Amino acid sequence: MSPSQHSESGGRRLDRRRFLTTAAIGGATIVGASALGGLDADAAFAEPMPSLDTAIPAAFAEGRIVAINRNVLDVAGSHGERYLIQLTNATSVWKLRTTTAEAIEVGDGLYARGAAMPDGTIAADAVWVNIVNVYVTIRGIAKDRLHLQHGSAEVVGHIVPDTTTASYLGGALTADLSKTRIGQEAQVLGAWRPADGNIDIARVSLGH
Amino acid sequence: MIPLVSHLAPLVCAVLLAVTGAGKLFGRQTDRLAANTVLVRVLNDGRRATLALRGVGAIELALAAALFAVPDTVVPGAATALLGVGFTGYLAYARTTAPESSCGCTARAEGPIGAKAFSRAGLVVAGGVLAATADRPWWSEISHRPAAAAAVLALAAVLVTALMADPARVLMPLRRARLRLFGHPLEPATGERVPVAATVELLEHSLAWQAAMPVVRSALLDHWDDEGWRVLHYAGAYTDERGTHPADVLFALDLTLTVDSAPSPAVRVSVIDDMTGEVVPSAVLAPTRTPLPLAT
Repeated sequence: MSPSQHSESGGRRLDRRRFLTTAAIGGATIVGASALGGLDADAAFAEPMPSLDTAIPAAFAEGRIVAINRNVLDVAGSHGERYLIQLTNATSVWKLRTTTAEAIEVGDGLYARGAAMPDGTIAADAVWVNIVNVYVTIRGIAKDRLHLQHGSAEVVGHIVPDTTTASYLGGALTADLSKTRIGQEAQVLGAWRPADGNIDIARVSLGH
Repeated sequence: MIPLVSHLAPLVCAVLLAVTGAGKLFGRQTDRLAANTVLVRVLNDGRRATLALRGVGAIELALAAALFAVPDTVVPGAATALLGVGFTGYLAYARTTAPESSCGCTARAEGPIGAKAFSRAGLVVAGGVLAATADRPWWSEISHRPAAAAAVLALAAVLVTALMADPARVLMPLRRARLRLFGHPLEPATGERVPVAATVELLEHSLAWQAAMPVVRSALLDHWDDEGWRVLHYAGAYTDERGTHPADVLFALDLTLTVDSAPSPAVRVSVIDDMTGEVVPSAVLAPTRTPLPLAT
């Protein structure tokens, strides 16, 4: 992509955001808390969402990406299945944070949720790349990482500035990780790094 | 140097055997440990395996006492070396027949037999051989050359700890002490702006989210901050009498609020048709809450 094209698409993106911001702020206001909890990244592990159109069955896929052809991910499932996953403008991509399809690489693991198409592909509503959710014990704390013990394995959890959050005793997510303690049990949601097997931490939940 | 080490070997072996022997003989977990060893299969019975393990513990304690009291005789050292050889043989047998079994060596819960278990048995053999060659009791050696003896004992303590203890259990208190001394390496958060994940959490606990959920199809697609607002963009689809249409679902929230500071958040919601670019006012129905019936 040439620089001029890039700035053009970036400009278009900003224009689009401006348009959407105006619409968003002009929207109806709904006040109140829900009795239901959240889902988002946790939804990767949740039951597939029922399809809106009953004629289109909901689909769920899980596996390693073996090839990427334009916007189609060729995925080898953990149990020998093969999936073709179609990404669109409306597909959300999570890889440690909200990102775009360009961040997806061959070799990444993935969970995808979407609709099964008549040609056998899955039109993805949402994909979560390299997402892991593990229960660990904190064994060490350093400036840029937590040393975690998962079962008998040692894992390094990298702290990513502006991304890693913590939740203490069910409180709100915060960027403040200074209340972590060595020896604590924790639940870590993050992105696995295929290169070295370590984790980039998205969220560490303590004392739940 | 070598005579110094061999003179002190009985003391080191005595301490080592006293710890592991007492652990096996008096330990509350010995039953459970024995159940994981290959002894159960050899002796055909868990109770007998426990007894055997406790018996070995008693032998270790007796040897420890002998090494401690009469270090300048050959017999305790030779017996220790023999015990070490026995351990090695047992480990080799257990490893070939049941590689997943625990070795039961230190009377502590541990995984399959590995290099560490063999080095421990090797250490007992080496210690026994050295102790057997000692011709002078360890106490006179210590009083004769206290500095050198202290250095050798410290080295032996490090070696034995490295082979005996779970490294995480040794390192954890050290790491804790370091945090207490030098402070926590991670600084508390500053600034008013909360992490995006906190805003998403606030949204997902809101009534607005519950109302919009039937329309939302994707997870968070994009987000940005604008004049105190944080806009969260999702992809969705809404249905009207003409069918189902793709749409953008937008939420705008105060970018300083979290579920802790805003238990009842105000969220702006809009749905925009993807094709026409027009706001669809009827796509999200504001929820009406029916009050719970009260007993009167």
